[in-house]
Amino acid sequence: MASALSAHVEEWSAEDVELVDVELALGRLRDQSAHETWGPDLRTSVMTHLAWVPEEWHEAALETLAGLGERHPSRGILLFPDPAAEDGLDASVSVLAFPLREERRHIAAEVIELRLRGRRSEAPASIVTPLLVSGLPVFLRWRGRPPFGESPLEQLLDVCDRFIVDSREWPDVPEAYAELPFERAACSDISWRRTERWRRMLAGLWPEIAEIDELSVTGPPAEAALLAGWLRSRLGRAIALQQENADEVEQVVAGTTLCPSPHERPSPSDLLSEELDEFGRDPVYEAAARAASDGRS
Amino acid sequence: VTETRLVENPLLEGLAPRRTPEPCVLVIFGASGDLTRRKIFPALYALACRHLLPERFAVVGASRSEWTDDEFRERMEHAVREFGRDDFKEDVWNWLAEAARYLPMDFADEGREDELAGFLNELDEERGTGGNRVYYLAVPPPAMPIIIKELGKQRKTKGWTRLIVEKPFGHDLASARELTRRISRHFREEEVFRIDHYLGKETVQNLLALRFANGIFEPIWNRQFIDHVQITVAETIGIEGRAGYYEQAGAIRDIFQNHMLQLVALTAMEPPIDFTADSVRNEKVKVLKAMHTPGPKHVVRGQYGPGFVEGKEVPGYREEEGVEPDSMTETFVAAKLFVDNWRWADTPFYVRTGKRLARRETVIGIQFKRAPHPPFEDAATEELQPNLLLVHVQPNEGVSLAVGAKVPGQGMRIRTVHMDFMYGGAFRTELPEAYERLLLDAMLGDQTLFTRSDEVEEQWALVDAIVAPWARDRPAFPNYAAGTWGPAAADVLMHRDGREWLRH
Repeated sequence: MASALSAHVEEWSAEDVELVDVELALGRLRDQSAHETWGPDLRTSVMTHLAWVPEEWHEAALETLAGLGERHPSRGILLFPDPAAEDGLDASVSVLAFPLREERRHIAAEVIELRLRGRRSEAPASIVTPLLVSGLPVFLRWRGRPPFGESPLEQLLDVCDRFIVDSREWPDVPEAYAELPFERAACSDISWRRTERWRRMLAGLWPEIAEIDELSVTGPPAEAALLAGWLRSRLGRAIALQQENADEVEQVVAGTTLCPSPHERPSPSDLLSEELDEFGRDPVYEAAARAASDGRS
Repeated sequence: VTETRLVENPLLEGLAPRRTPEPCVLVIFGASGDLTRRKIFPALYALACRHLLPERFAVVGASRSEWTDDEFRERMEHAVREFGRDDFKEDVWNWLAEAARYLPMDFADEGREDELAGFLNELDEERGTGGNRVYYLAVPPPAMPIIIKELGKQRKTKGWTRLIVEKPFGHDLASARELTRRISRHFREEEVFRIDHYLGKETVQNLLALRFANGIFEPIWNRQFIDHVQITVAETIGIEGRAGYYEQAGAIRDIFQNHMLQLVALTAMEPPIDFTADSVRNEKVKVLKAMHTPGPKHVVRGQYGPGFVEGKEVPGYREEEGVEPDSMTETFVAAKLFVDNWRWADTPFYVRTGKRLARRETVIGIQFKRAPHPPFEDAATEELQPNLLLVHVQPNEGVSLAVGAKVPGQGMRIRTVHMDFMYGGAFRTELPEAYERLLLDAMLGDQTLFTRSDEVEEQWALVDAIVAPWARDRPAFPNYAAGTWGPAAADVLMHRDGREWLRH
């Protein structure tokens, strides 16, 4: 992760640690970074960014996070659950110093990677709560299909303000949308964000598409379901969905009208970055997700 | 998204309105000049990178140089590569280049205005720009009246028209009024966009956010809590080959009349009722009207002699190419200003601007009054300064607050420490350039960050009153060495009040 950021990096890692070791390491790394860069680094935090990253998502998570530190200086806490291992907590702490333009000073961001081994993975909230930056919002990014109702997720939902998923990572859309915990935290979905450019183009076809009763999408199931749910909820009636698989949304036909392609294709980092700029609930998404799962308007 | 639009189109709900202008043609007069190369085209490219220009768009360069479309595109490509803040992307550039045209022309020649009109009408047909026009006058002041007159004669009934005017807006009150009179013959005030690029800077806008979005500052933003305000606009560069302009303008017309007085107005203004153009500008005008003319003792002017800037030996102003060897043009101005209203009565605003100063920096310093009764021994607080809020406009946009903190260890010693908030660090490392914001706003018709004619006139009225006594005396120029903080008299201006310029 660090190499992608062109930042000065101080790192520390250890196995079988206590949280106090992590806090001490953070302080020590800040001092070292200040010594090796140019005076004390500024710490400008806008949030705590939690990410729950099961084994199969490690690489993708690190790629997406690369570059985010510059745009959203924050304390990033990456939780890697490893329930099959022996009980314990391993930590790796990085202090990243991004150079400021035209100046020798730096802005510091922090990344704490914690491997939750054995039963420690069952109580993640008790581990992250002491590490949250007080007074700032907590964003929880959950990689893969969230196990709604299970203990780790339920605990982390209690400490977060915003819950970010990517339903493209789920095997069971659209039914899974019914489980999103809209009443517990503001939910956002990176797949929903991906549809924004298409929604904008479809809105530009109004009123030509006001009477449609069918939508055809060539693209991933999540985006197709969300686009259909959105149209159902906005237009207030049933709209049948025809979906053909593709890695990205390639074509959308509303009724018989071909939607112009939006051209823009933001990177995963850009999409997550846009979600991190949002704070409140999104009633349009909530209605679209509900309509996607039950097939009704 | 307005309720009416949602009733019309329910699909728009939740989609933030994009700041994309309607289709239009941007015509740049003075397209062969430095401003077009360094600022305007790189800004257009940055907007294109972010999909902020309309799909149906054209940009026309117009100037006396006999270039072809391709030569213009080639030169602008070099400009974008050299001065753009984004990596060069072929696809983005190709899109912009395809929208670019060039028209060699001189308005002084008979019949050329008809040629321009015909050219633009054809472009409307070709690009679908609907008759919407943005005219950008990036030309020296003497060229403006004829262009304004000819453009006025060609006003079309189809589409909207906007006129962007670069500073200087006149050279005194009378000429500013004359320019306004000429413009208003053909253009309504809501069609005129006078650029003061300082207003497009993120930190200048952030000053409004700092003041009016935070409950903790506004209650203490007044004479009860603020001892004085200092504003510094310091440059390390000289006149960069612009002797012809600078000899006429000097520091007072180049910086003080526009950027400096805008910073004073934004610092001192009352909260506007909303963030619409007229509400903001109404409040700024009130500040300018409330400023009284400083007497000669409260104004210092200077001119740099030879010296060292960043280790390099540089010539004095009178040795610069094109400058008269006995020039009396000021390259430095400092003044003590007062805003005579309920909020600021008796609170001085010390301002200074100059060329070839020790450091390139624009900063607003709000110096608060001392704590009324610190319950510590004198020795404990001897290093403690009053609280100071610094708004860094450039080069490192941000805000610093100086507070007293206990020195770790035995006993009680208190020292001043700075808490820094660097704007680029909290959001994005790359802030948009001022010209990007201003060009986009002009295309969108949003005048909030542009100066209104009455603002310009108030600024000139103050400047005219300041310079009136200057004709009667000849200060001993040069009176400061390049690479210093200006003439000693500027320090005396502060020392007389028991104050000092801040060391930033």
